[in-house]
Amino acid sequence: MSARADTEVPAGATGNGAQLNSFSHYRHLTLELAISQFKLRYTQSVLGYLWSLLKPAMIFGIIYVIFVVLFDVRDGTQYYGIQLLLGIVVWTFFAECTALSMQAIASNGGLIRKAYFPRSILVIAASLTSLFTFLINLCLVIVIAAALHQIDIGLRIVAVIPLLLELYMLALGISFFLGSLFVQYRDVGHLWEVLMQLLFYGSGVMFSLSYVLQRLHLARGVGVTTNYRPRDLWMAWLVVCNPIMQICEDLRHALVTPQAPWTETIVTGHLAAVHQYAALDVPWLLPMPFLVVALILAAGAFTFRARARNFAETL
Amino acid sequence: MSADPNLAIRVEHLSKRFRIPLDRSATLKHRMTHWRSATRYRIMEALRDVSFEVSAGEFIGIIGHNGSGKSTLLKILSRIYRPDAGVVAVEGKVSPFLELGVGFNPELTARENIFLSGAILGLGRAELHRLFDEIIGFAELEQFVDHKLKNFSSGMEVRLAFSLAIQAHAEILMMDEVLAVGDASFQQKCFDIFARYKREGRTVVLVTHELGAVMTYCDRALLLDHGRLVADGAAADVTAQYRRAIGLAADGSLTSTEVERWGSRDVVVTGVRMLDSRGLVDLNPATGGSVRVEIGYGIQHDAIADFVCVVWLLRDDGLMVSEASLPVSQYAQVGDSQREAGGTIRFDIPQLPLLDGAYSIDIEIQGRRDGAIYDHLKHAVHFRVIDKRARRGVVESGGVWSVVAGEQPPDTWQDPLG
Repeated sequence: MSARADTEVPAGATGNGAQLNSFSHYRHLTLELAISQFKLRYTQSVLGYLWSLLKPAMIFGIIYVIFVVLFDVRDGTQYYGIQLLLGIVVWTFFAECTALSMQAIASNGGLIRKAYFPRSILVIAASLTSLFTFLINLCLVIVIAAALHQIDIGLRIVAVIPLLLELYMLALGISFFLGSLFVQYRDVGHLWEVLMQLLFYGSGVMFSLSYVLQRLHLARGVGVTTNYRPRDLWMAWLVVCNPIMQICEDLRHALVTPQAPWTETIVTGHLAAVHQYAALDVPWLLPMPFLVVALILAAGAFTFRARARNFAETL
Repeated sequence: MSADPNLAIRVEHLSKRFRIPLDRSATLKHRMTHWRSATRYRIMEALRDVSFEVSAGEFIGIIGHNGSGKSTLLKILSRIYRPDAGVVAVEGKVSPFLELGVGFNPELTARENIFLSGAILGLGRAELHRLFDEIIGFAELEQFVDHKLKNFSSGMEVRLAFSLAIQAHAEILMMDEVLAVGDASFQQKCFDIFARYKREGRTVVLVTHELGAVMTYCDRALLLDHGRLVADGAAADVTAQYRRAIGLAADGSLTSTEVERWGSRDVVVTGVRMLDSRGLVDLNPATGGSVRVEIGYGIQHDAIADFVCVVWLLRDDGLMVSEASLPVSQYAQVGDSQREAGGTIRFDIPQLPLLDGAYSIDIEIQGRRDGAIYDHLKHAVHFRVIDKRARRGVVESGGVWSVVAGEQPPDTWQDPLG
């Protein structure tokens, strides 16, 4: 018996003129899936699409009351309200995109068992649905910020594009990973919920990175070098390796105010303080988060690819 | 690879096996706590060394009993499943769907569903816009374009699915039980389309139980049995062979259409015969004679190790005369394809106690642990008992008479008349 197990299906076969090549067909299918998912999300609700705006607004209200009215963490941060709103919008996208995409495969068992197309389309379509909502929300934040004069637009705004790209790649990478594992292990869903809670507080959605590090320095007493411990170095590492925090931070700098410094500047400053203000040259600080995201995307896509062939049989 | 340009599908030594986890709790916890012991599986061989070729323009039917691997084969041809071994080569654009209405969502309107499902079928947006009126018109749903699908009757839904599906311009069409849905008029529509496909010279692979459709439209048919390709030839010959296979015993006691039958078919009754003492088929046994009921069974599912066979004797008015059951154990060796996936159960009645009348036998194969019904055959065999002495009643008592002269019963005997 032949040990080979492959399927040869030439794509560019002859056909009648109206035939689509597979790439444009799959692009079309992805969009159709994303559009219908978007419609389905807001069907059977009175407020419909408004929910995607109301949800971040409500979360904003809760956090604002807790972190401003009860414990004032503003600490002189310029335009804290808009900075918080921006963080929440970014976070909502990340949370929704991963939650939706995680179920994209498992909830489409009928489709997977009855039709052939690259399975990744389902995950990409789900992420596009969230991305679409996110972009609208982001525009609204800018409009609100402009209306309240709480925005200082400069050339920095160019940085928004790579940052958004980074954010989407991160969400997509995690979605691939979760989506493929969720098919077989539903535990992933529960685990991810808890992890998201941790990430929410660990990503500086409601406070800026400089605020956290400032508190740390105050507690230690700046300049009293003996007070620094190895864990202060880890802090910097953690921040550098958590792309969500970096994205939130840098979006604030790029979009809202130059007073919120680049993540790189903050971390360099922190490291300098830890290392007794020695002159530091850390060239990996800037590309590091992007590298982390690239790694996550590659790992997610790889996991997905390895598992995709068994989806139809597992579901 | 393709020496013959006329070849549409080439399948060589195709095998597919499914691993069915014995413990369904395939969670992380389970994996963590049982990380040393590999998860135990039963191997179900869905396809075993199947080879065939289909020429372009051929209309080919795949038939076989439930669980014979028909649908698995179709799914491998359309790339939904991957083969474990062997080569599958398909030349040409394959329809990516197996059923009607793939991707339909009840919460979307007819219009939205056309665009979504159409995208899955490989139709472009511009093309769908152009064909939209035609699709809706053919489905006779002009007034319901913007109604949600969930408010459609099943007939309307099928019409919509069908008029969309026929727009797919694949060269090779794979269809799995399309005839199973819909009423007679819908089936007629399907047949019209089949005829059109045939005229257009498209390659069609049809999986169905409708032997009539196979005879009418298919040039060729493949018969699968337990994952093996047992016949490949002219549709008429192969369907005849299949009919013989399911038609069971030559005595005509059981044909699949006459018997009321239900169950999951995880284990099936493959044949029932009633024999006399000489081993010949006898549907008119005599009271007191020796009778043997032979029940052929086939295990369709490697996960099933044991089951219970129950036989009921019933009088023609439905009175249950007797019940007998036998637990059968046949433990499968995982991966042992040599294992007999079936056998014969014999039920011997040395002296038939039934008296004159018409009787029948009901047979049921049950799961041993859960009592699930695998196969139930109502009136699997009808037979008529002939009592030479024409006694009345249902059963012979089996009592023995004797007379003792000159002896009276003891004092305890009460005279019934007082």
